[in-house]
This record gives sequence, C-alpha cells and structure tokens, in this order.
Amino acid sequence: MREMALSRTIVLSVTILVFSLVLAGCTAPVQDSLAADWRLTINGTTEKVLTMKDVRALPPVNGHGYCVSTTGFRFGPYTCKGVDLRDLAGVAGGVGEGRQVWVSAPDGYLWVFDADQLEGRGFVTFDENLKEIPSPPLRIILMYEQNGTPLTYDDGGPARIAIISEQPGVITEGSAWVKWVDRIEIRE
Amino acid sequence: MRSVAIAILLVVSILLAGCSGSAPANKTLKVIAAGSLLAPFAEAEQEFEASHPGIDVQIEGHGSIQVIRQVTDLGRTADVIAVADESLIPDLMYRPMKNSSRNYTDWYRPISTNEMVIAYTNKSRYHEEISQENWYRILARPDVRLGFSNPMLDAAGYRSLMVLQLAEGEYREPLLFETLITDHFPSTITVSAGEEGTTISLPEIMRPSDDKVVIRDGSIYLLSLLSAGGIDYAIEYRSVAEGMNLSYVTLPASINLGSAEYAERYRNVTVILGFPRFATIGSERNGLPVVYAVTIPANAPNPDLAREFIGYIANESAKGRPGWPAPLPEGAVS
Repeated sequence: MREMALSRTIVLSVTILVFSLVLAGCTAPVQDSLAADWRLTINGTTEKVLTMKDVRALPPVNGHGYCVSTTGFRFGPYTCKGVDLRDLAGVAGGVGEGRQVWVSAPDGYLWVFDADQLEGRGFVTFDENLKEIPSPPLRIILMYEQNGTPLTYDDGGPARIAIISEQPGVITEGSAWVKWVDRIEIRE
Repeated sequence: MRSVAIAILLVVSILLAGCSGSAPANKTLKVIAAGSLLAPFAEAEQEFEASHPGIDVQIEGHGSIQVIRQVTDLGRTADVIAVADESLIPDLMYRPMKNSSRNYTDWYRPISTNEMVIAYTNKSRYHEEISQENWYRILARPDVRLGFSNPMLDAAGYRSLMVLQLAEGEYREPLLFETLITDHFPSTITVSAGEEGTTISLPEIMRPSDDKVVIRDGSIYLLSLLSAGGIDYAIEYRSVAEGMNLSYVTLPASINLGSAEYAERYRNVTVILGFPRFATIGSERNGLPVVYAVTIPANAPNPDLAREFIGYIANESAKGRPGWPAPLPEGAVS
C-alpha cells in the first residue's frame, strides 16, 4: 500500500516537473521545427534550395562576432558557427568578379555585399568602446549556431548573417547582419 | 509527507514559470523612436517617470523606417512610435494589421521640426574661416574631409545629399555636388535633371574611394569621428549638433530642409537608393521639410498612458528646449 502511494507521488511529481519545465520554456521542439521547416534558396548561375542539413554539411567556420546598431546599441559578443558566404554562393555557381551577393529575409529586409566585402574588406570596425580600430581579417558567414547552440528565432534563427573575426571584441556595423535569411542571390 | 512534496514541487514549478509575483507590477510604456530623438526622449523619460510613479518608460532607438517596422513587419508591440519623417506613418502604417481589419494606425501628430547644418569642432581644418557665406567652398577644398550618415540607413544621410544638390542651384556652383560627392565614389552616382527636378541615383554599396568623404551607419559614429578629428565637418541635424555642444554653420532656409515655405523647392530633389532595403517601402526618397511625428499603434498595450506621454513630448517640444528638435511654426498643426 505504502509502495503504491510512493509510486503515485513519483508519477505526480514528474508530471508537475515536466509541466513546469514546459511553462518555463526549457524545451527544444520549437527550435527543432524552426530548422526543419527552413529552406534557403540560392540563385546564381543555377538555383538551389538547401535544407539546414545541407548547409551544415558544408565546411563550418567558427569565429567571434559582435555588432552594433545605428544608434549604438551593442549585440554580443558571441561565438559564431556557420558557413562562409563564398562557399554558399559556390553551391549555385560562385561569385564572379564585379558581382554582388543580395541577402534577404521573409520580413522584407535586404542587404547587399560586394566581392571586396566577401573577402572581408571594406568594413568599419570598432573596439568595445565603439572607437574605430583598424579592421582585422573578417569573414561573412551564414551563422546557424551562436554560443554553441542553434540560433533561436529571436536572434535571427535558424540562420542569419554574421561578420566574424578570429580576434574577440571586434564590433562591426549591425545593418549587414541580416536575420532570418532565406534567399541569397548573386547579381551583376 | 506526500502532500509536502507536492506542495514544494508546485512552488518550484510556479517559480520556474516566473509566476511568483513577488515584485511590484510597474507599468511599462514602450517607446520606439528615431535615433535623433533619443537624447531629448531620454530627458523626457526621466521627467515623465518622476511625475508618474510606478511607470517605467522604456525607449528604444532605430532609424525611422526600422522604428515602424518593429511594429508592422516584426510583430512587436509598442505604445508610442516616433519618427523623423512624418510621411512614413501614413505610407507604412495606414494599412491593416496582420489578422485584423484595423489599421496599424489612422492618425499621427507632427511634433517638431529640424534643419540640416554643417557641424564642426575647433580641430576642424579652416574652422576659423567657415561661415554661412563660404561653407561650400571650404568643404570643397581638397584637404577637407566631410562626413554624413549612410543614405541607405539614415534619413539624415539622404537629406545630406539633398542639401548639397540644392546648394548647387542656390550658389550657382554647377560642379559642387560632383566635387564634394560624385568624384569620391568608385561606383557611379548619377545626377540627372528633368522636368520633375533633379534625381540622384546611388549605387548599391556606398563606399568612398578616398578620404575626402566618410560615411558611417549612424550619427553617433560620425560625431565620434568629428570629435576625434577623423573628419573635419559633418552634415547633421541642428538639434543633434546642439545636443553634442558642437559648433555649426546654419544654412539658408531654401536648402536646409527646415522650412515649410520652401517645400516646393525641396521637392525638386529626389534620391534613389541603391537597393530597396525594406520590401515595404520603395527606394525613392523625396525632398521634404523635416517634420517629426508620433503615433500610437492600434494594438498598443497602454494607449491612455501613451496619449499622456505624447502630450508631454508635444508640450516640451513646443518650448524649444536646447538639444530638442525645434518647435513647429505657429499654425503648422491643426
């Protein structure tokens, strides 16, 4: 009789704990479905549609990312993992000389990078105090992991643009960090 | 024993869910405002909170289009929207909200105006010489570095280009825009004159080819460069220059975008941006007098409080406080 009561208590306790964890937002199914439903269209000399699995199968790049809004609000610092934009463009024919990469999202936001920027040149960089510093080598990536975990929707997930460096504490202008990326076009 | 365990678990679960309610429930007024309003609104925040105990005013800044997009495209809620271009509210918010027949808003209130000036410091080259009569000749000198914000991101950026184009006609200097702007970009900036006026078409990437011109994403970065001597002059809003205690040259009303009287002349200049950064608004920006405006989104959580805050801002703006955008001329508001 006592064993039965104990087992009922355990079942009830586990139920309450699971309920509380769900209430506290400590479960991951939303995140999983975000990545599972996501598709990236890359339009170059050919058009390809990639899944998150396809993107993750490309060579990963890691680095430090940190950005600032036009009004001086800082986001980061983060450790970032993703795919170099040049490798992604390579899936649909690559970026030839003088071409541009147009990156857009379903919220209607668009940003354009030129070939120089794809090589990490031409960005303004700041230190932690927002004082301009000479730019270290930079890379533009499509980030899918931030601080070791899949990118959340609020942070622009499942995939967003990040400008990263090997050196921590380098801040770049946030206008290029397109959130919720779903389309990449290579244009003249 | 069993009931104690359950009670403990219930308390833990409620705490995990953040429902303990131990802190007093202050009301938060969410204000999303254009960057050039942040300094005056920070003052207003303190004053409004002091006279409204229990109210927490939270102010968030963006470029004006991004201010509106927080509500219309990104689905966030806000109590007050404040922008540096009154035309953006009808253009972007007089349309139905998602899953609703109500518009995001059907009204706005103009609250203040501003004008473009040439800001500088005592480190700026030729600062002892510059005046309202010769500013464009000083800026054209080869060793003078000029800064303005990115027209793709900031209304002050495309307004800077409009001012320089209007100055060509005002001073009968047909090569002024070319000398100050076009010659310093590797990608083509085209200026074409037609019956409708002058159109400046920008490339996708606004990156200068030399040190003569410097472009930054927002005013704060330009002002920091100006203070450090990285540029000599910046084209800025007058209220921003005043708020930062910078010296500045005022420009004639016919070109400073600050006077409703000259609205027709301003309209002669159009800037076409290099790409449509936002799908909800095109790439064309027309010359207009600078008018700041506020509204309350239809789904604002605290509309009554928002109305009170707007009333406060409007009254304070009308006083012409230092560092605030200027009051609207008498009779400008119906």
